[in-house]
Amino acid sequence: MQRLQLLKETFFGLDAVHQRLLVGCAVAAAAAGGILTYAVQRSKVRTIPVGEGWWGAGEKPPSEDETIHPFTVQTSDKEIEDLHERIDRTRFSDPLEDSGFQYGFNSTYLKKVVSYWRNTFDWKQQVAVLNKYPHFKTKIEGLDVHFIHVRPKHRGDQRVLPLMMVHGWPGSFYEFYKILPLLTQNHDGVSFEVVIPSIPGYGFSEAPHKKGFNSLAAARIFLTLMERLGFSQFYLQGGDWGSLITTNMAQMRPDRVKGLHLNMCMSTRGFKVLLSMMIGPYLPFLVGFSREDVRRLFPFFEKNVWEMLKESGYLHIQATKPDTAGRGLNDSPVGLAAYLLEKFSTWTHKRNRDLEDGGLERKFSLDDLLTNVMIYWTTGSIISSMRFYKENLGSNPNDRIDARTGIFVPTGLAAFPQELLHCPRSWAQIRYRNIVSYTFMPQGGHFPALEEPRLLATDVIQFAKKVEEL
Amino acid sequence: MFTAVLVALVIGGLIIFLVQRRRNQVLKTEDGWWGPGAPPGAEEDITVRSFKVTTSDEELEDLYRRIDQTRPVSSLEDSQFHYGFNSHYLQRVVSYWRNDFDWRRQVDKLNQYPHFKTSIEGIDVHYVHVKPKRVPEGTSAIPLIMVHGWPGSFYEFYGLIPLLTEPSDPGDLVFEVVCPSIPGYGFSEAPRKKGFDSVCAARIFHKLMKRLGFQQFYAHGGDWGWLVTTNMAQLEPKTVKGLHVNFAPPSKPGLQMVLSIMLGRRFPKLFGFTDMDVERLYPCMEKLVVESIKESGYMHIQATKPDTAGRGLNDSPVGLAAYILEKFSTWTDHDFRNLDDGGLTRKFSLDDLLTNVMIYWTSGCIISSMRFYKENFGKGLDAPHAKIPVYVPTGFACFPNELMHTPKLWVKQKYRNLVSFSPMQRGGHFAAMEEPQLMAEDIQKFTKTVEKKMKQ
Repeated sequence: MQRLQLLKETFFGLDAVHQRLLVGCAVAAAAAGGILTYAVQRSKVRTIPVGEGWWGAGEKPPSEDETIHPFTVQTSDKEIEDLHERIDRTRFSDPLEDSGFQYGFNSTYLKKVVSYWRNTFDWKQQVAVLNKYPHFKTKIEGLDVHFIHVRPKHRGDQRVLPLMMVHGWPGSFYEFYKILPLLTQNHDGVSFEVVIPSIPGYGFSEAPHKKGFNSLAAARIFLTLMERLGFSQFYLQGGDWGSLITTNMAQMRPDRVKGLHLNMCMSTRGFKVLLSMMIGPYLPFLVGFSREDVRRLFPFFEKNVWEMLKESGYLHIQATKPDTAGRGLNDSPVGLAAYLLEKFSTWTHKRNRDLEDGGLERKFSLDDLLTNVMIYWTTGSIISSMRFYKENLGSNPNDRIDARTGIFVPTGLAAFPQELLHCPRSWAQIRYRNIVSYTFMPQGGHFPALEEPRLLATDVIQFAKKVEEL
Repeated sequence: MFTAVLVALVIGGLIIFLVQRRRNQVLKTEDGWWGPGAPPGAEEDITVRSFKVTTSDEELEDLYRRIDQTRPVSSLEDSQFHYGFNSHYLQRVVSYWRNDFDWRRQVDKLNQYPHFKTSIEGIDVHYVHVKPKRVPEGTSAIPLIMVHGWPGSFYEFYGLIPLLTEPSDPGDLVFEVVCPSIPGYGFSEAPRKKGFDSVCAARIFHKLMKRLGFQQFYAHGGDWGWLVTTNMAQLEPKTVKGLHVNFAPPSKPGLQMVLSIMLGRRFPKLFGFTDMDVERLYPCMEKLVVESIKESGYMHIQATKPDTAGRGLNDSPVGLAAYILEKFSTWTDHDFRNLDDGGLTRKFSLDDLLTNVMIYWTSGCIISSMRFYKENFGKGLDAPHAKIPVYVPTGFACFPNELMHTPKLWVKQKYRNLVSFSPMQRGGHFAAMEEPQLMAEDIQKFTKTVEKKMKQ
């Protein structure tokens, strides 16, 4: 009280100029303090809760077996005969005259693919290819989780960085088979030890028995997997669902994730985005767009809204009626192949829709494409793979906690020109607060690991090197 | 003063001219050719041929083999019909199909009415033509064309046909009924060329009716049938005496509709909203937007990638059954999604449901049936027919569980000559099959009203 009285007397004792100076300083200090607090708050690393879950059948048992078992992909004559028999019984129909891939997978070209599948494709040989890397399974949250684990050959003088790569739909762990050898090589003393799991419900990973298995659950399971394998810090790479799952992992345990590399990132909405949409075509630099951004984004309505509507029918039906959508595909291998391979055509380059053969074999070999289809076929996982859409998109995805939380780990983004939706750096920065590298890739679409493995590997390596030097 | 009068006259004249123009606005269309390759130089064969639905041991064996080789997948615990057709109940349906369903007997049932085929614009068009056995003295049977939708077929009308051709009440009108299959559906050949939309189907059905000798007739439709018959009324308003529909989603949201959505809850009387209207429209975000999104996934994929969507269904009868029967469950009552058995057999018999599925299966038409969505929606919602109102006398049967509820105000925006609007007691999207008695009563009521008005 007395001090206050003293301060008052001192202040009013000063002359007018000094008084104003003092007030000015006080205001400036308050403002600076306010800005500093805001800046600190904004960059404060926030996490999302890790949570817990149980996805096995029935009741949860008191304890779970945590051992890791080696696993080998197998097939049998019976399996192959059944496949051939079903292919032989396909009831084909003709496409409309002159329709290319505009109505979906062209039936005339489908006959060619199926003929190759029936007569030339060698599943036993492909199974041997699958088994060239070591596979494992381990039980987490009631589900048998499948993964491959590849170490670089000579570890001696290298820095070996652990890396988990997560696939999406309609892909699988097999998408990474071309990029794996590039990553496990020595690049100036740096190489990767790679773990590639299958999302539960996909391929050789058991499907959840309970409702609600979304990307947060998958993220938590994969964090547990890395922990079980003894990795305390690691890199992540993902596209499609893999992009969301690895993002969630980085949001849950940023202390574990050294770096996050994505080839697809979902842009958020919001005022900043809206503003840049309106001003972008005319004054791109004002809203943080480069020339390449403008080229890929505009005309906006056509390239983003109309295109999205044309290509998201599968998403809509899988997010609402997955059990119905997948039912026929689990009996008809040809139906399954058409459904999955249509995406490998259209999502690799949009002009493929106008081609009679969908441009499928321009960037992929039929052996690789059909091996991926066989993973869905032999495991009968098409329905459970579709349910992931409903679990993630069923209720408003923008309300979920991960959509409202930022990502603070060092992030690298590889923007491929034929990706479904372009996400400029300025939009990505709204949530990914620590972008270390953003690369405009010269070519490639939605499946770059399979289509442009060299380009993707180069970007992942340069990103990791940047992070290591930090 | 003189100038003012002149200006008023000019403006008045302009308005009258425009109104007259709208009133006389008729949908235009051109002939098409949908067969393979170029149209033949010679005259098209216009004979009408008898047709009988047939089956064979081979067909049945193939079906059974495929059913036996289904690879079932369990539904999630406690998910009922929320993820689509429940797998456990599907197994029960399939078991009935495999062991109890008698396709030969159903084929006989299909053949109880005379079937025909005739070639129009390169497509073999199938239809059922039922003439009444007895017509009261001094009257003639009233011609009526009934058009089905997806995933239905002409078979949906089998319960309704006898009520119209042989009504028990002597005061009722007697109808002569034609039930065609939309090209690409069931026993009608599928178009080979792109662009076959509802207006093309309407034009083909006009040609059909002319070929059968009908100068004027009534039309009834639901689902796609609603749009095809509406197009028929727009193409030749003088030929369509009356149009009866049980489904009428608004094609263009006008100012009136938007205002009524915004203010209708507070001021229902202002827009003529009844209690039922308010209950079915509000909360509008949930009932109009969310519900539509939940149930329109099939429409989205069929309107963009029909060849992909249908491919697996043409090899897997179980997959086809799940896909089609899911609609007979959910579109009959949305609450059926909460039931383990989807409430499927509460309003329909498995025999009837599976007969409809068999029509899609034996004709292998699932892909071509889906293409109709792309042809109609592919270019957006701005087709010429969406902008032209309908002046033909119209009757609307408003069933409580229809997919989209359309209050009288909205129906009148397009159907300017609404003669009857009947809120029905019960029934959903497949009303003709679910409540044939109620539907027959409303068609009678509507037709009698129109006939009386014409005599005046």
